[in-house]
Amino acid sequence: MKNRLRVLRAERNWSQADLAERLEVSRQSVNAIETGKYDPSLPLAFKLARLFETTIEAIFSDENG
Amino acid sequence: MNCMNNPAARRFMWHLAITMVLYVAFLVLALVIFIHYRPTGPLAWLLAVLPALPVIGQLAVCGLYLAEEKDEFLRNLQIQAMLWGIGATLAVTTVWGFLENFAQVPHLYLYVVYPLFWFFVGISTPLLKARYK
Repeated sequence: MKNRLRVLRAERNWSQADLAERLEVSRQSVNAIETGKYDPSLPLAFKLARLFETTIEAIFSDENG
Repeated sequence: MNCMNNPAARRFMWHLAITMVLYVAFLVLALVIFIHYRPTGPLAWLLAVLPALPVIGQLAVCGLYLAEEKDEFLRNLQIQAMLWGIGATLAVTTVWGFLENFAQVPHLYLYVVYPLFWFFVGISTPLLKARYK
């Protein structure tokens, strides 16, 4: 699944470690999600959306959509 | 397990260490009693099972870790590694069983199955981690 996490992080000047700390997950998790290798669960996707004050659809996009 | 900075993983390592100490203690105890007193009947059964109890405890500790791990990605990684461990262990022991029957390879004691499982978990963990890098 494609995502805009790298851009959203850059806008806030956050490192992967910063984002991981805010999400209360490991840096490996953030990296795996950001590179599109791991799709987060709905609760984690909602947490991301809340953190970036946006919607899940604004962060993630279905590659077929 | 995967990330020592989180509380669930630290607790897991602690619990694992306790079960390992208990395993060594129970094994030594069972050996000493068997060598010196040669027990029979229910006591022999009890002593024979004693070293296996901490091993069973380790499986419970793993279950507890998976229940406590809040990082879903790490939990997913660990579950995958354990599934690979189970699959590889079942495959190897099944093949070995037939080899014992038909090709007269040395007998594999059943208590080898457990460390074999962790051996395969150990191999698959870094391979799975590499997949997500």
